Amino acid sequence: MVKMAANKNAAKMDFKTRCQMTMRDMVKYRWLYFLLIPGILFFAIFKYVPMYGLKIAFMDYNQYNPAASQWVGLAQFVKLFSKRSFLPVLRNTIVISLLKLIIGFPIPIILALMMNEMRSLKFKKVSQTLLYLPHFISWVILAGIIMTLLDPDNGLITEWILRLTGEKVMVLTNQKWFVPMLIVTDIYKGMGWGTILYFAAISGIDPVLYEAASIDGAGKWKQMLNITLPSIIPTIVVCFIMNCGNILNAGFDQIFMLYSSHVYDVADIIDTYVYRIGIVNADYSFSTAAGMFKSVVALILIVTVNQIAKKTGNEGLY
Amino acid sequence: MKTKKIAGTTIKRGRGEVAFSVFNYVFFVLLCIIMVYPFWHVVMMSLSSVEATAKGGVFLWPKGFNLDTYIKVFKDPSIWSGYFTTVMVTLAGTFLGTLFTATTAYPLSKKDLPFGKTMLFLVLFTMLFSGGMIPGYLLMKNLNLIDNRLSLVLPGLISAYNVIIMKSFFQSIPESLEESAKIDGATEVTIFWKIVLPLSKATVATIALFTAVGYWNDYFSTVLYINTKERWALQAVLRYMLTNTNQAMQSAGVTVAAATNVTAATIKAASVVVATVPILCVYPFVQKYFVKGVMIGGVKG
Amino acid sequence: MKKKLLTLLLTGMMAVGMLAGCGGGGKSGGASAAAGEAAPLAEEKIDVLNQSETMRMAVVCLQGYTQPDSEFEHWMEERYNLDVQVIALPGWSDATAKITLLMADETQRPDIIWWWNMEKDFTDWVNAGLLVDVSAYMDRYTNMRDYYNSIDPGILFYASEENGSVYRIPGDIAEPACETLWIRQDWLDNLNLETPKTLDELEEVMYAFTSDDPDGNGIDDTYGLGGDGYDIRSFWPWIQGCGDGLGRDTFIKLEDGSYAYGPVSEDAKNWLGRVHKLYADGVITPNIVTDTDRDEEMANGGFGVTYSWVIYNNPSNGTMKSFYSTNPDAKWVPIDMVAGDNGNPQDEPASIGAWCYFGITNVCSDPERAYAIWDDMATPENYIHRRFGVEGRDYIDNGDGTYEIIHSGDGPENTEQGLGIKLFQDLFSRKDECNIENSEETAALFEKVKENSREAYTHTIEKKNPAKYEVNNELGTDLGDIVKEYMWGVISGSKSLDDWDSYVEEVNEAGLQDILDELSELHGAQMKQYEEYMAAQGK
Repeated sequence: MVKMAANKNAAKMDFKTRCQMTMRDMVKYRWLYFLLIPGILFFAIFKYVPMYGLKIAFMDYNQYNPAASQWVGLAQFVKLFSKRSFLPVLRNTIVISLLKLIIGFPIPIILALMMNEMRSLKFKKVSQTLLYLPHFISWVILAGIIMTLLDPDNGLITEWILRLTGEKVMVLTNQKWFVPMLIVTDIYKGMGWGTILYFAAISGIDPVLYEAASIDGAGKWKQMLNITLPSIIPTIVVCFIMNCGNILNAGFDQIFMLYSSHVYDVADIIDTYVYRIGIVNADYSFSTAAGMFKSVVALILIVTVNQIAKKTGNEGLY
Repeated sequence: MKTKKIAGTTIKRGRGEVAFSVFNYVFFVLLCIIMVYPFWHVVMMSLSSVEATAKGGVFLWPKGFNLDTYIKVFKDPSIWSGYFTTVMVTLAGTFLGTLFTATTAYPLSKKDLPFGKTMLFLVLFTMLFSGGMIPGYLLMKNLNLIDNRLSLVLPGLISAYNVIIMKSFFQSIPESLEESAKIDGATEVTIFWKIVLPLSKATVATIALFTAVGYWNDYFSTVLYINTKERWALQAVLRYMLTNTNQAMQSAGVTVAAATNVTAATIKAASVVVATVPILCVYPFVQKYFVKGVMIGGVKG
Repeated sequence: MKKKLLTLLLTGMMAVGMLAGCGGGGKSGGASAAAGEAAPLAEEKIDVLNQSETMRMAVVCLQGYTQPDSEFEHWMEERYNLDVQVIALPGWSDATAKITLLMADETQRPDIIWWWNMEKDFTDWVNAGLLVDVSAYMDRYTNMRDYYNSIDPGILFYASEENGSVYRIPGDIAEPACETLWIRQDWLDNLNLETPKTLDELEEVMYAFTSDDPDGNGIDDTYGLGGDGYDIRSFWPWIQGCGDGLGRDTFIKLEDGSYAYGPVSEDAKNWLGRVHKLYADGVITPNIVTDTDRDEEMANGGFGVTYSWVIYNNPSNGTMKSFYSTNPDAKWVPIDMVAGDNGNPQDEPASIGAWCYFGITNVCSDPERAYAIWDDMATPENYIHRRFGVEGRDYIDNGDGTYEIIHSGDGPENTEQGLGIKLFQDLFSRKDECNIENSEETAALFEKVKENSREAYTHTIEKKNPAKYEVNNELGTDLGDIVKEYMWGVISGSKSLDDWDSYVEEVNEAGLQDILDELSELHGAQMKQYEEYMAAQGK
């Protein structure tokens, strides 16, 4: 008994001192809190206030007469999972985004490293500018261009494939080719822009390191492996964690603009599926439930990957 | 970077390195061509005659050169009002957004800030969960901003993604620089303004570019919050021009023939060019600062 | 400890958010009029031309022909003493979201709303009292009603509710049939071929068009059939020509009053087989299985047969103009529908019900006056002014029933000079002789395909309130996806007709019978009402 009370007391003391310490720290950092004011206001007003809208995932929501909305518990989620076609859709989503992650993620890193080895500043600048270009072109437009290039009749790429394989392949309606096409076009659009963060990270590397290395006789290759790469690992980790959170976002805009029923089997993802279902029923509750499911999965993934990153000695996201 | 060059010349380059260098240049030349071609294609389409675009075969140069499409696009008053709205929104949003992203990220980069991690998590949380369209609209309505251009600026000011990127950059700045200033009695605000920000020019430029592109390409805020056509953003105007009227009617299961304009293909191409060129014009200048920022960061860091 | 704190904070934040949000939600929910209540009529008919009070009239319409302060808008404001505010919807794909928001917010709700599809939303609007019942106004101001009844009394049946209220005014209706079979007469002449009369002859002509170099340029660059990509209707002659023509991609009504699903019928299997063979033989443009634009395909040419719009027959039609500018020696002609297995060629019927509607909302200060104004704009004279502009400047009346269009709504002058031609074009439009764009031949062609599609129409199912078909709304999308995937798979060759049975089974498993049961229950009841309604109209 006595022991327990003592323990409790100690905990209380501990808590009290900890509070005091926290208070002291808060006073000490008051100017940092001052800097945070606009950010806090922004996130509270524009992000957290509208978040009450998530409740409609548990309702049968009537936007024209909210008073008539009814609570339905988990019915919307049950509906989502009981849909005959939901599992294949989930599978497609994961397959497409995993492929995008595995193939697409390392490319900007390699590009950034390669470009960093370029001596001509002018050339570097020009190629950087050009590599970023596709990022500025929206999927609406890019899809139009892709369709022209892949036109079964006279598309440039269709003709190349015909010459190389002797086969007339209609990429956009072919289940075998469609997903690879998605991956390639996604990489095309994002790879240049993806290098930007790594460049910024590389620019932060202390040149003294390189000097020291070259005095030690390390060649460019060794410098890249032993200095550049390790220095940008924190950025790589941050980007990787973020990408993992996106695993259920396989790219609505891209797929929506390019797909057709020929490739539903392989290319229908959660977002496109919910969009098609939602249009018929104007069902906000249902699409919110689907969105929430995605968010929860993303949250779990991010927290897990972040934990792993921290355990392996890297800086996490938070 | 300067020092790197010096370092490079003091070392004899091996054969492997030369080969790599050659490969590197060839590779990037090819890559650049691939990057540019689709865009080039659109420009050529927009300059070609209606007949040529219909028949196909525009490859490297315009066929049947014609500027009528551009004349037509620029005579549409909604393009100009769209430009005005988008430029204003992008300028205001980029300036404020970048500033506030930095002021949010800097305190959060301090590991011992009480509640810092919680706040960071709350920021991250907004990346995953959002209230959706209707609550967002109701908020704007309660702020009395419906049909006001401010509604295009405010919701996109800070993104969690940018905050996290910036925060990890701030963390890479050596503590020692800030410590010395602190000993001189400077507050964190001064340190942030006088030391941290100048050191992070590259990052700030990156985030500014991210934000600017986000504002420039945003069309959905217009859909949600703007009613008056004169206040539409350029992308919304453009998107309207690009979406085919026939298609929706067909999806509605209806057989109503819309008397569409057959120059649609060239008009589309021209609108795309009109909306993209300004960013491409501004971009090299931003990039100049960007590269400069990278270099300063490299030398001073 | 930390995690607890975090959850606490989160919950707190969300609670605050909920509070703030509910405040907003509650305010917007205050709908005034209860559903089903008819608006009281003014003591006497409103004379819309002599009103002393300026009324606000905010109208929602698709952006297409909107422009600030157009000439027509001013004409409206002066004539009816209005303050017209045009709320332009963004493009088709985003318009629904905008309409939802506008209707959900009583501070931004327009006086006149326009929409298409959105059946569930419409039901919610009526239940929440957001729309005004205009049935009494319709009896008092009769231009619009008379026009619709002259075209088909069924139009207003589909627009009205069971108790006779009318909350939605038909915005635009298609002609009873608007597509026909087109063929390249010059190619027929070059190859010395006769105009095909049967489906088999049509296929022969298509093979000849593909392999016999009909344009005589020595290059193998022509196809038999072309048309709108990714649209089953491009194959209408085969759908109609195989068996009894029941293989449509929709639900159909059989002669005995029962219901069936076209895509699993034997007829569908037959036409799919035929079309697949044609496609595999390279007689059909490869593009037809991808989502290509019909007008663009048509303008590009390269094929000799297509099932397409009647209005291509108008000399002013842009698509054909563009086609002829690149192919000056070509000649597309509309021909009679070819006969298939049952020897009864039918054209494709369109729905009787409108594809889009408009309605007067509860924020309108004087709904009766608003309706009366719209009705006044529906007179032939005012309609032509609204749709085609000013006589002498925008079009010329030749005096013999023919007209010449100078400035069309699509022309650059319309936007550049702010004429406002075609403003509010989908908020009431006339397809009768007031559509002066139609040439005499086009009008006759419309009449012909209309007559030639009535029998096929007997199989068409139209739903008055699609939102009520809950089973269909629940399962229909999945079912449609299976069918789409299979049909296009067979045509393009990636799927085989050998798998027909397993495909049918898959459709059955997706709940076909449930949908059919619901259909026969609800649609059966609706058709009874329809007959009663039509009988009452006949009196």
